[in-house]
Amino acid sequence: MPEWIIVLLRSLTLIAFLFFLTKWLGSKHLSQLNSFEYISGIVLGSVAAIHTVNPDTNFSYAFIAMVVWFIVPFGVEKIALKSKAFRDFTEGKGVVFIQDGKIMEDNLKKEGYSTDDLLEKLRNNNIFLASDVEFAVLEPNGSLSVLPKRESRPLTAKDLGIKLAPTKEPQTVVMDGNVLLEPLANLSLNTNWLETELDKMNVSIENVFLAQADSDGQLTVDLYDDMIAVPAPTEKPLLLATMKKCQADLELFALSTENPESKEMYQRNSKKLQSAIATISSYLN
Amino acid sequence: MTVGSQVKGCYSSIKSIEASLGVLSNKTQNIDSKQALEHTEQLIKEIKNDLQKQVVLLSKQEPQYK
Repeated sequence: MPEWIIVLLRSLTLIAFLFFLTKWLGSKHLSQLNSFEYISGIVLGSVAAIHTVNPDTNFSYAFIAMVVWFIVPFGVEKIALKSKAFRDFTEGKGVVFIQDGKIMEDNLKKEGYSTDDLLEKLRNNNIFLASDVEFAVLEPNGSLSVLPKRESRPLTAKDLGIKLAPTKEPQTVVMDGNVLLEPLANLSLNTNWLETELDKMNVSIENVFLAQADSDGQLTVDLYDDMIAVPAPTEKPLLLATMKKCQADLELFALSTENPESKEMYQRNSKKLQSAIATISSYLN
Repeated sequence: MTVGSQVKGCYSSIKSIEASLGVLSNKTQNIDSKQALEHTEQLIKEIKNDLQKQVVLLSKQEPQYK
């Protein structure tokens, strides 16, 4: 058998073998690998590489070496899942770099981080002033996790005491002009609903590149024909505007009537509508 | 435009609001939003009933515009 055929066959078998080994080793993201997993990954690759291009080697040795380099990290990973002490040993522990706003110089030195390295890591986290940091820990994978001081944290709706309506993930209901039935069913909607909504926008389904519906059943579409302007969903803003208009009308009636009973009725209902607007407005935005 | 027709206009807007709220509360998947929408729908219904009485009252007071 000519050597090039051997190389070809070896390559194909090892590619398939390596593919399944890496599949079984789990789908941990490459950046989350600790040094041990990283090295075993490299060794697996090199063993495959050596045995591919060198036809003189004994091919069965490739399998033995790869199985060993697969089983040991695999076993270590499985034991580490069960035991916290073992996990600390194999994967390492986080090291606190900044606590209560104070830099821990000893820990920096122990990990071999210079002040410049620390500042660089902080800048990666968008922090340029070390005194803005309340707490920072170096994770075992080498990234720095930073908790900024309370006043340096981005403002959230919770800080402002604003009540926001909860939203769920939107569903993609049309992709490349094809209706996806499962996402539609997740929103308990059907194709009739989709056709009606598209009719309302005056677009045909063949022209739709992408359509998504949110958990309130509002549909947004993108068309193949970019010259056609698609109307934004108006149902909710329109409803809120109508409620406000009615409330203003009721106040006007209350001012203009001379009948005390009617006046009282108008005022009462105006107040009721006002409270209704207050409860609902966060859901209609 | 008489007062009667103005109030009637407002009454029909309120009816449309009630219907839209009903549609939204049926469409939404979220329990919180559903509750808020249903609560608001209830308030609107009360307003609607009051206004309906007022519309009848005004149509009695302004029979010449009927």
